[in-house]
Amino acid sequence: MTAIATSGLTCAVPIATADRVQLGHGSGGKMSASLIGELFVRELHNTALAEMGDGAVVTAGAEALVVSTDSFVVSPIEFPGGDIGSLAVHGTLNDVAMMGARPLCLTAGFVLEEGLPMATLERIVASMARAAREAGVRVVAGDTKVVERGKADGLYVNTTGIGTVDPRCRPGPRGARVGDIVIVSGPIGRHGMAIMAAREGLGFESTITSDSACLVPLVERLKASGTRVHVLRDPTRGGVASALNEIAAASRVAIALDEDTLPVPDNVRAACEMLGLDPLYVANEGIMLAIVPEAHAALALETLRSDALGADARIIGRVTSTPAATVVLRTGLGGTRIVDLLPGDQLPRIC
Amino acid sequence: MCLGIPGRVVERRDDGGFPTGLVDFGGVRREACLAYVAGEVGIGDYVIVHVGFAISKVDEAEARRTFEVLREMSRLDELEWIADAIEPAPPDVRPAAGATRGGHP
Amino acid sequence: MKYLSEYRDPAIALALIERIRRIATRQWTMMEVCGGQTHTIVRHGLDELLEGAVEMIHGPGCPVCVTPLEQIDKALALAARRDVIFTSFGDMLRVPGSDCDLQQVRARGGAVRVVYSPLDALELARRNPEKEVVFFAVGFETTAPANAMAVWRARELGVRNFSVLVSHVTVPPAITAILTAPDNRVQGFLAAGHVCTVMGWTEYEPIAERYRVPIVVTGFEPMDILEGMLMVVEQLEAGRHVVENQYVRSVRREGTVPARERVEEVFELVDRKWRGIGEIPMSGLRLRDEFAAFDAERKFGLGGIVVNEPAECRAGDVLTGRLKPPRCAAFGTRCTPEHPLGALMVSTEGACAAYYNLARHRIGESQGVTT
Repeated sequence: MTAIATSGLTCAVPIATADRVQLGHGSGGKMSASLIGELFVRELHNTALAEMGDGAVVTAGAEALVVSTDSFVVSPIEFPGGDIGSLAVHGTLNDVAMMGARPLCLTAGFVLEEGLPMATLERIVASMARAAREAGVRVVAGDTKVVERGKADGLYVNTTGIGTVDPRCRPGPRGARVGDIVIVSGPIGRHGMAIMAAREGLGFESTITSDSACLVPLVERLKASGTRVHVLRDPTRGGVASALNEIAAASRVAIALDEDTLPVPDNVRAACEMLGLDPLYVANEGIMLAIVPEAHAALALETLRSDALGADARIIGRVTSTPAATVVLRTGLGGTRIVDLLPGDQLPRIC
Repeated sequence: MCLGIPGRVVERRDDGGFPTGLVDFGGVRREACLAYVAGEVGIGDYVIVHVGFAISKVDEAEARRTFEVLREMSRLDELEWIADAIEPAPPDVRPAAGATRGGHP
Repeated sequence: MKYLSEYRDPAIALALIERIRRIATRQWTMMEVCGGQTHTIVRHGLDELLEGAVEMIHGPGCPVCVTPLEQIDKALALAARRDVIFTSFGDMLRVPGSDCDLQQVRARGGAVRVVYSPLDALELARRNPEKEVVFFAVGFETTAPANAMAVWRARELGVRNFSVLVSHVTVPPAITAILTAPDNRVQGFLAAGHVCTVMGWTEYEPIAERYRVPIVVTGFEPMDILEGMLMVVEQLEAGRHVVENQYVRSVRREGTVPARERVEEVFELVDRKWRGIGEIPMSGLRLRDEFAAFDAERKFGLGGIVVNEPAECRAGDVLTGRLKPPRCAAFGTRCTPEHPLGALMVSTEGACAAYYNLARHRIGESQGVTT
């Protein structure tokens, strides 16, 4: 029997920085952060951009406005629980709301693929109009381009939102303080898994629907209740884990999560088990994280739960001081583990 | 390699002699090849599925039996801790550690 | 989820931990040989909770990690071809080859697709007759029946544009190699539950007897791992060394016979190089000559690949339990998941990635690791 050779230990050449854009650069993980930091912020640098919040604050005379933009490239463009049209409205309105601001209006830019069925486009636009109407916000400007067959996956949309700063409520990623409580407004993992299920190739049927929703009314309630809100963030791509990591880094704190309290619906959990995915990294489009001072936690919970959208709100952790810029999870068994930013996308695994 | 999860067979299909089935995993369903367990598995049975293949039938009776043993053990341990807290037992009168566990050859 | 969630019951898990601590009269050292078990252990902090009673050495249980560099390079060469759709399990996409990885090949225009099952790759071949579909057949014995069936079915259906790039390894020879190493410290094993679901446990009986080590076939949930550890410790305390089965809900002594038969029909045992370890005789699988038409290596004439492996990575030492990842000089500094030196830092089951992603806070301060 051959014993294991200790000489000739081998290893791969390290992969240096990528010379091309990869899918991981858009995942919301470390590659994204590094692309944004090393290229975009460096080239375009200004203080508003460097804040890296959900949106930026700009002043026009005496008026302070919030501006936020988002591009939507989801595939398939229609999925259980929503479509790219309503998603584009909800997503940008939510980003404006996460700054504590009240949305004023939206713009919408479309890139359409040659050959996209007109009936599909009509459905998407109608859905977008409905979502805007329900939110009480108008789409005031737009643009349409068409590209050749084979590009744009059917349809890409960019929406930009403008809102007015609310002096009562100016949450931001640097606002978390030691002792604060971390609350999530609803169950996690629905949107990302609904998309996965709808994608060909992984071939599973499920009852999972996207949670795509407009969070503006929920935020308005929170503001009206007098709750002091330090941070608001909607955990979209990269999931709760990525959002909390960014906040922990920006605020220079640690965030301690309790695994037992994470609200994961059964069907999401089942789908994640099958593919070896962690619900903490799965995208959400209709929930938010609220970090509030401990004294305001009960009020925050009660307020959120008084709205249908926040009915399942619960406390999932607290802000501590060490290890700095890290999210740590206490497991059901009392052990601990780090919840780190992933380099790129979470990949389904078999191991 | 490891990621095999248990699911319940809800449908059996025959693709020209190639046995497949629809398996339900806690609300999520996927087709799986049942060729390796075809003789022993029927609707309602649980199987372990790895990369789209059922590699075994879950032995529910064994699972139940050993689960009960473990649950019993954890309850007994609870009682022992309580007893210890009141009056720690000297080492030589501690109960034997080996609980019966099912499935041994 | 039935037959899954119950095995995460904290009360039972804690009772098992308590019992292990009570009966262990000294610290015992054992090894688990399956990446999925490593993941559970580190993810739930089980090794942390058993410190002093059980020392876990993480074995080479990650087929992704031990896939030889040559096979990765062959995969990359195939994926770069215009006429090929290269399909793979997700785990393989970021494993570094000599020059790049599959994700980068995709960025450069290669058709690389993640699939859940080898049958999906076969289906892709049937739907794309003008392309060659190659599937990266990586894995232990658990996955061999699936890959065998895909090849067998391709032959049945007369599919000509489907082939597999094989990189299968088998567990028992690796265990033996570890036990015969002069500095071996492993006193007991948790055998891989799903490998044994397919193969049964007869191959482990001569190993347990010859090397006098308890081997317990173990599942993957926290309760399974803890019960398996308890059974190993009980044997060690009693001076016994036999094969036992903890994973009774899935494993029988003879395994799943039809699966073993199909594997036997399609594959044959060969010597195989394990990345980071070296060659272990009769530890790999290769397609039999009757199925040569489905062997991507033979079909595409892939041979004579020269690999380029400078050696700062200490994967070999980690895989054989000689080195805990945090003690590697490159850990967390020159070697991180974004800039991995080796496969163990890329694969989610690799010991290095597990430590870095999940547990570095426990060793961070003392090692001066930047987080």
